[in-house]
Amino acid sequence: MAKLIRNNALFAKIIKEHAPPQCFIHTTTNLNKCQAGRYRISLRKDFPLTYEMANPPHQIAHRKAWNSWNTSNVDGGVRPAETAVEDLFIRKFITGTWHNLFVSEVIIKRQHNIIRIAGIVHQQANARQMYFLIGYCEELLSYWLQCLVKMELQTVQDKRDVVFKYI
Amino acid sequence: MTTLWSAVRKSSLNLSHSNVYFTNWFVVRLYSSKINIPKRIQRGPTDILRALESTIERDPTAAHYKYHDDPYLIPRVNYTKRMFAMAQESGRKTAHWIKEQHPELFQHREADPFIQSFAPTIKFTPDSKVAEEDLKHAIEDTHVSDASLIYKLLKKMGAEINNDTQLNLLELLCFYNGDDAMSDEFIEEKWFKQTSKEVREQFKKTWKDGGLAEEVFISIENPPAEAYSAIIQGMAKYYQADRAFELFEEAKGKGHILNTDVYNSIIRISPILKEGYDLRWSFVVDLLNQMSKAKLKPNLGTLNAVLRVLSTMGGGKLVKENVLKTLAEFKNLGVEPSLASWYYVLIAFCKDRGPKSGVLFEILKEIENKEFTARDIYDTYFFVTAMEICRYHLHSKDAAERVHNVLMFKDNYNLIGDSYKESIYYRHYTSILCSQMPIEEFMSIVYSIIVPNIYIPEPSVVKEILDSVEATGSIEFLPKLWQDIVSFDYIRRNIIIETVPAIMANNEPPEGSELHEQFAIIARDIIQRLEALSQDERTKISLSGEMFGNLIRVLLRDNDFNSACTVLQKLMKGQIEVLGVPKIEDLQLFIEHCEKNKAPTKAIDCVQYAADSGHIGYEELASKIIKLFTLDENHLNKLSKIVGPDILHQQESVSC
Repeated sequence: MAKLIRNNALFAKIIKEHAPPQCFIHTTTNLNKCQAGRYRISLRKDFPLTYEMANPPHQIAHRKAWNSWNTSNVDGGVRPAETAVEDLFIRKFITGTWHNLFVSEVIIKRQHNIIRIAGIVHQQANARQMYFLIGYCEELLSYWLQCLVKMELQTVQDKRDVVFKYI
Repeated sequence: MTTLWSAVRKSSLNLSHSNVYFTNWFVVRLYSSKINIPKRIQRGPTDILRALESTIERDPTAAHYKYHDDPYLIPRVNYTKRMFAMAQESGRKTAHWIKEQHPELFQHREADPFIQSFAPTIKFTPDSKVAEEDLKHAIEDTHVSDASLIYKLLKKMGAEINNDTQLNLLELLCFYNGDDAMSDEFIEEKWFKQTSKEVREQFKKTWKDGGLAEEVFISIENPPAEAYSAIIQGMAKYYQADRAFELFEEAKGKGHILNTDVYNSIIRISPILKEGYDLRWSFVVDLLNQMSKAKLKPNLGTLNAVLRVLSTMGGGKLVKENVLKTLAEFKNLGVEPSLASWYYVLIAFCKDRGPKSGVLFEILKEIENKEFTARDIYDTYFFVTAMEICRYHLHSKDAAERVHNVLMFKDNYNLIGDSYKESIYYRHYTSILCSQMPIEEFMSIVYSIIVPNIYIPEPSVVKEILDSVEATGSIEFLPKLWQDIVSFDYIRRNIIIETVPAIMANNEPPEGSELHEQFAIIARDIIQRLEALSQDERTKISLSGEMFGNLIRVLLRDNDFNSACTVLQKLMKGQIEVLGVPKIEDLQLFIEHCEKNKAPTKAIDCVQYAADSGHIGYEELASKIIKLFTLDENHLNKLSKIVGPDILHQQESVSC
């Protein structure tokens, strides 16, 4: 049996064919392991975390907010899958285009036919270069997503300005 | 909030209306048996937005909304305003280029309904297969070069082209002179374009002789009046005056009835056709008579064309009479003048060397409290010219304020033109107000509002403001002005960096005033910044010795002896290129302070410097030292080396 369980597909098949719907009873204690969105303490305790990183996912809507704002996933919302893929594309595009400049998460807010992309950038690039990138991203993304795209940026002088704590 | 609410209500919210009617229904029933339900007003899709927009005014405390709202990204220096906006546009152009270069990547259709402007444009090559439909589309979208190419391809194929399409193409080519129009999408480029050139190159021929437009015209058999109109207007617009006139005569000879616009364009080019003023005027009158014979109703274009011709005819008395006659005539015809008409009137009346004319006041009576829209391409020249006349011709603060009020009325600011005209407008406006208003009033109701977000004064204007600060002795504004000078990056400007210390030194603040300290801070700031500049090898600035003397004086008034010593040391080392020497009074003051601080060495250094730099009064300084100090052997030797032993002996004998 143990050998069979390792083979997931086969295991699923066996369940489907032989077992009636039933609860599996645990005989051991719960592990309750959850790792996503959490950071491990480093050896020297010098790993920088932003406020957003410092709060684990269960704090969303309590101590921090969402990174994507849209109504695709509410009842009657449209294009949930497309929205998720597009948001991923936007994040990849922004981090690649603003190479090493974004010091916060890329926040994407959708309202009607407008997409607003917000974030905090490092003042490593001068203001002129930033304006170029803003114009470029807004225009190219709006060609790609075929709606208005606006960027709402704030700048910080030092990367440490966004650090909330070190762990 | 109340204005907002009333605007929204006015605009349409039928819902709120009906609510009001509903709640008051019984009350209304009591007084009248009949209820008047207002007629529904048809609204456009953007009416609510417009109503909301009308409640917002430009916020002078924030940068223009095209800039990002972040301290790092807000332009503070004049040239950065242009640079930032153009950089963003450049980024947009890059994205545009990528879309055009890789059209295969942008073929998806995400939006519903599909938006054409997000899709790449269809490209035509000499091998493309085209039909007349393509030509029609290209003309409709004003793609001039595409339309030309398609037309050529169709001709090569020997296809038959509809007469109407051919005529439309001719009109397109004539309007744009065969060049692609500047895209509406890139507004910043238009805003920052140098328009001064346009005015200078007035009447310069740019029409493409033998171009496609003429080819199309020739290919039309028995060209109708419309074809003649198009080609004549095109040639006139791009100043191919002689041929335009030839064709005009030819068309009339063939018995075509040309429209008002053709006559207007011929009137506009009459300065090229006829040299002498009298000849020109009789030519224009003749054309107007022809129009009245042909029963053509003149329009605004006619008025502006006639006034424009008059404005090119010098400042004679007859010209002014004719301008007034023209205005009266067109008023009778019911043609409302646009701002361009008033612009020409101003040019005709207010000549540089002519007598002073108060015509602007008459114009102001006409245009005050009126909203204008762009009706003529020269409408945008009015405000800048009017303000220039207020400054140089009338020297009148009242006129300037009234012109400014017209500009600020409702949406009239749209007619300011472009960035170049805007900055010249504000240069004149600030300059006239700064010289004629009490400085306190100027700083509080003009300067603090328009600077720096709407207008950053040029160095010459800052100098003017500084001058009037000095003239009125209102030195309390200096710290604020210095802050602005630093943020506008005018440290390198000699006229400013010389003026500020001079004002501080010449206007001593009263005893115990805070200004002493503030001025000393400014002086130290100047020294620091000059030092930073002198390390930067690219910038060479030469400053006068007098300025350093002023700095020393300001520092000593705040009893900052150490900083004053550093200034003197700088002068001695010759780190900065200095022209001339400080005033003798400043050096004397320094020596007095040396005595207070018991620093005879510094005092002797000062004499050394004065002697080395060839200052005439160094002996006077030396005798002052001897008077003030009891010097030891060492110092006396040093001093006698500088000024020679004679003076020392003289002094000794006097003191004995």
